[in-house]
Amino acid sequence: MLREYWSKLCRTLAGRRGLAGDLDAEIHAHLEFEIQENIARGMPPDEARAAARRHVGNLTQIQEGAVDAWSFPSLESIAQDLRYGLRGIRRSPGFSLVVVVTLALGIGANTAIFSVVNAVLLRPLPYPAAERLVWLGESDPKAEGISVTWVNYQHWRNENHSFEDMAGFQTAHLTLTGRGEPLFTRAGLVTHGFFGLLGAHPMLGHLFNASDDQPGAVPTAVLDYRFWIGKLGADPGVVGATLALDGKPYEVIGVLPPGLHFFPQSIDFYLPLHQYEGEIVDRGRHGSMRLVARLKPGVPLASAVADLDLIMRRLAQSDPGPEAQHRASGVFLTESMTGDIRPTLLILLAAAGLVLILACANVASLVLARSTARAREIAIRAAIGAGRKRLVRQLLTENLLLAALGGMAGILLAQWGSGALIAAGPRDIPRLAETTLDWRVLLFAAAITILTGLFTGIAPVLTAGRTDLVSALKDSARSSAGRRGQRSRSALVVAQIAITLVLAFAAGLLLRNLIAAQTADPGFVPEHVLALELVLPSASYKSPQAIGGFYSQLERDLQGLPGVTSVGAVRCPPSVGDCGDWFYSILDRPAPQPSEVPIALFNTADRGYFGAMRIPLREGRVLADTVRPGTPLVAIVNETFARKWWPRESALGHRIKWGGPYRDGPIYEIVGVAGNVSQMGLGTEPYPEVYLPFSQSPDRAMVVMIRTGGVASSLAPAVRRRVAAMDRNLPVESLRPFTETVAASLAERRFSTLLLALFAVLAMALAAVGIYGLLNYWVRVREGEIAIRMALGAPRPSIMRWAGWQALRLSLIGAGIGMLAGWAVSRGLGSVVFGVSNSLTTLAAAALAVIAVAMIAAAIPVWRATQVDAVNKLHRV
Amino acid sequence: MSTVDDPRERLEFLQGTLEVLILRSLQLGPNHAYGITQFLEQQSGDEFVVDNGSLYPALQRLLQRTWIAAQWKTSPHGRRAKYYRLTPAGRKQLVAATSRWQRFVEAMGRILAPEG
Repeated sequence: MLREYWSKLCRTLAGRRGLAGDLDAEIHAHLEFEIQENIARGMPPDEARAAARRHVGNLTQIQEGAVDAWSFPSLESIAQDLRYGLRGIRRSPGFSLVVVVTLALGIGANTAIFSVVNAVLLRPLPYPAAERLVWLGESDPKAEGISVTWVNYQHWRNENHSFEDMAGFQTAHLTLTGRGEPLFTRAGLVTHGFFGLLGAHPMLGHLFNASDDQPGAVPTAVLDYRFWIGKLGADPGVVGATLALDGKPYEVIGVLPPGLHFFPQSIDFYLPLHQYEGEIVDRGRHGSMRLVARLKPGVPLASAVADLDLIMRRLAQSDPGPEAQHRASGVFLTESMTGDIRPTLLILLAAAGLVLILACANVASLVLARSTARAREIAIRAAIGAGRKRLVRQLLTENLLLAALGGMAGILLAQWGSGALIAAGPRDIPRLAETTLDWRVLLFAAAITILTGLFTGIAPVLTAGRTDLVSALKDSARSSAGRRGQRSRSALVVAQIAITLVLAFAAGLLLRNLIAAQTADPGFVPEHVLALELVLPSASYKSPQAIGGFYSQLERDLQGLPGVTSVGAVRCPPSVGDCGDWFYSILDRPAPQPSEVPIALFNTADRGYFGAMRIPLREGRVLADTVRPGTPLVAIVNETFARKWWPRESALGHRIKWGGPYRDGPIYEIVGVAGNVSQMGLGTEPYPEVYLPFSQSPDRAMVVMIRTGGVASSLAPAVRRRVAAMDRNLPVESLRPFTETVAASLAERRFSTLLLALFAVLAMALAAVGIYGLLNYWVRVREGEIAIRMALGAPRPSIMRWAGWQALRLSLIGAGIGMLAGWAVSRGLGSVVFGVSNSLTTLAAAALAVIAVAMIAAAIPVWRATQVDAVNKLHRV
Repeated sequence: MSTVDDPRERLEFLQGTLEVLILRSLQLGPNHAYGITQFLEQQSGDEFVVDNGSLYPALQRLLQRTWIAAQWKTSPHGRRAKYYRLTPAGRKQLVAATSRWQRFVEAMGRILAPEG
């Protein structure tokens, strides 16, 4: 067998021409032998030649047969199939164009979404042995991923048996001075193992080693590439230079090459974490450090976490405290980086998949209609000896060819679409910007293209060999094959309507959810507010008095600007999320179990804040000027907090303890109850929140809210001038209308809703084309029947009812199936997307919309049915 | 095809038998295609008719398997023709095929033979 292929291959490579000439000579020699024999038997030469010719047979055919023995039949007939396929595509350009465009839409949408899924979820992280990298935090019975304390980190790092290495990381905001304008910078604080774990090497100088991590070491810094290029002019002599950060000198020891994007935000430089944290001996002292660690090969994550738990248990005995219940928690780094966006992307991928199925259904329907029309051609081919296998292969090749064209157009579309997705996508999707059409995406596109080609071609193939030759050749026009095709196409249309309904329903639910979030009362008025974000550098603002003095002076200055109606500052503005929650307890209530200590958001606000944001005060008073350091500590709680503890009485006068019963902490008296704000983003559940007065607990990082009578942004230049006038070394972290911040909290939901709505519209268009095509065909096939009915006196309205009923029947069946499926799907949707709940109204609206679209699409063919020229038609029949 | 002017019904080759018969015909010595045809028709007592449309592809297949080899030579009558001859591999194949055929014929015979 092998030898046979080998000699065939050699012959193919050597060329067929020699073989054909040789055979020709051989067969002619053969002929001569016969002629000579005949002459020897006594025939006259002419007769001898003719008889020999007859006896030998068709010379060309013999030669072809012999040559064929050398060929690879499958390969060559595939080439022939391709030629036929191309000819078929050229012969019906309209049909081909519709198919290619439809498939391009389906394949393009899927490839674009998949390219994002690939970049965000699938592509391995760009670190050595990234599949063994894990993200570690502490956990208690109520929460996971709590920050790791410095002391615990030391124990974990030194006593574990499961990790190759472990490093701590957190971020900090620092002000860079002494190099032109003061700069607000973001530092990555890391322990010295960090770069080794991520496989980073210095481009200039060197990176941290253990000595940089020692308390009391000379403060050092490693620059990120972008910061070095953008802010330091790519100075090659930067190593050894000094950076003044928050007024403290740091020696630059190295520069990183481009491409390290471990932190979600962009980082300007890295500083040794320990040096920043100082000497800590309290095991319960939390910063915001989390750990990245690499598992030893073959160690499962669960047993590595159990290993750390063991260390925590030991520590709970030797060094007990309020956190004796704390254990370790770990997830793989890939998961921790993509956790939130995963369900959204998978939903979008599923929706895109449904759109592709719709596109396939349309194409399958078209192909089916065409193959019914081609039944005669196929019958002729079968009659002149084409085998069923060969016919099937020919049909499939044609479909695959069309699919391939659609796929190529789809990839072009996806190239454009993924660019649009990157541009439109929310900023906080990790690695979204790295979306490219790499080999995985192209492989995906190729796979769905081939599947599409096979799927759309399968229906005509199933009927191809079974075509009744006689009836097809006799051209009893739209015979049995037509009816059978019609049934398959009807089924396709029903499926299309059902799928479209599911998509429309899902999009409707998300849209409702989004609208509800946007129109729900957020508890504050974001319009006409300019938000000024500042972080005072610790070097120049050391004392609480200095900080308090700065902000009250600033607010007085801003108050004087024309158009400003009120000014107030808060540490954690609404809708940006959780800026820090902590344990607390109510003083006159029994102490809860250590694992049951409640948590609330602790915020800081000054007296102008509630007025400036129009947050109503339900009870009590704002934190008046009289509240000065040294006087009893007071706090304002939000309504949720107040109702949680005192549903029937006033919260005023009750006292809460910061840190809960098991930790040290000050005691605050509740003096006011403020209205709830959507702290975690618009449309989210309210969360118990405590506002501490800025005058008693001043904070360097505050957001100053400036309410104006006019357009908020027009005030920005004046605000900048005021800030610079007070401290020309103070960078403005951000200054923008607060409405932008609020809108950003919905960016991800808006993005996914928009895409899903887009898919639903695409689906409706495809379904409309599907039902239009089907009904159009249905009418064309029945023109004769309609003409007869009309001739027998059927009025036009009854024809219209008859044809319209066909469309309505299919729509209703499809809508029924779609409603059942949609209901099931929305349950799943509700479990992964926050705030989505089933809604019968939305389902009914989606069903009505889909049926309406179907009926509009059907209107033209139905109208055409009534316009059949009965006399003319009957003459021709 | 060549049976058109022959009133007598002849036997058709069973699948794959033609190739064995070609090998057998070459056992006596090299021969050309026409010679092989003549040999098979004569040896079968004119029961077989060799269709050139089958003969030539069969020859090519045997060449591919290197059971036979071909060479242009001049015939005893002074005509040039392509002569095929058995290769050692072809000889081995012929022996194997012959014994298989004999077992087949005996088995068929035992089943088809009238009882008694």
